[in-house]
Amino acid sequence: MTIRTMLLWSFYLITLTAFFRVEADGQVVDRVYHPYVLANEHRLEWRFMSRQTDEENYLAQRIGFGHSVNERWILELYLIGERDIEGNFGLEAYEVEARWMLTEQGRYWADWGMVFEVEKRHSKEQWEAASGLVMEKEFGRSSLTLNWFMIYEWGDALKDELESEFRLQYRYRWMPQFQPSIEFYSGEDYVGMGPAIMGLQRFDGQKQLKWELGFITELSNIGKDHTLRFALEYEF
Amino acid sequence: MLRYYKRLLLLTVIALNVTFSARAELPEFHLTLNHNLFYPQRLEVPAGEKIRLIIDNQDDAPEEFDSFDLNREKVLFPGRFTVIYIGPLEPGVYHFFGEFHPNQAKGQIRAISKGHGGAD
Repeated sequence: MTIRTMLLWSFYLITLTAFFRVEADGQVVDRVYHPYVLANEHRLEWRFMSRQTDEENYLAQRIGFGHSVNERWILELYLIGERDIEGNFGLEAYEVEARWMLTEQGRYWADWGMVFEVEKRHSKEQWEAASGLVMEKEFGRSSLTLNWFMIYEWGDALKDELESEFRLQYRYRWMPQFQPSIEFYSGEDYVGMGPAIMGLQRFDGQKQLKWELGFITELSNIGKDHTLRFALEYEF
Repeated sequence: MLRYYKRLLLLTVIALNVTFSARAELPEFHLTLNHNLFYPQRLEVPAGEKIRLIIDNQDDAPEEFDSFDLNREKVLFPGRFTVIYIGPLEPGVYHFFGEFHPNQAKGQIRAISKGHGGAD
């Protein structure tokens, strides 16, 4: 099976299910994935996300450790903490994530990858599985990145359902430490957009620190709904 | 929302087809890494064309090709040829280096437009 055939089948499976209507019960703003994997890479990651609406402040953080198993695959494990309805912050879920670089960077008109995630809620029989198709296209010093995700949830007190999400990032690679972008998120009856920056600082060898900061505003709601997201990654 | 996803689906199918549409053979250029030095250290390539850069790491240890200008980062395994696809580039100078020996393993790619002497 060629890469083209695999990609087409993956895409058809993902997008066919996108026609189902979905219920709102999750957080859509996260990070926009890029389709690249670097061999011999280890990474520690911390993600922070705070969503402020008229009614509540939702807070989630996750820490992860990743390791590239070869030139095309990277595996990452996460511990996810969230603030519950009583205002207490604690461990809420675990997640395993695999990213697959489908095409060599720059070889084709656009670069493609896939993301697979399985998440289990802590102390509950609640599960979530997601698969995503990732595309990136370079235009000189700018990059357009698109993510399509299909998410399936099942378990205790959950209605088995399929959800879809779409994420977009248009980034200008101005300098390594400062790369401004615009991000767009949709899914679960949510549409949001806002500015973001990302950057990196290199140290010895493969060691580098990457950061991302974004402020996303919900567009389809007249009420207050802002999300601040922040991510820090140390690669070594 | 359904109309939105239909448009998204259509755009993605177009993107997939454009991605894998027939393309001409790419011009090839070669670099060698030996004793933590790239040879040649200055490589001239045509502007406006995608190229295949083939790097032969003749050292006993891995190196990591890195270039913010070219937006490329790739591990060069010892004793192997590594292919990096670059461009199309605007005329100009693009710097690259090896992350494990940044003061030694460094060089530049000069993208030159046809009919012009060189890139400054």
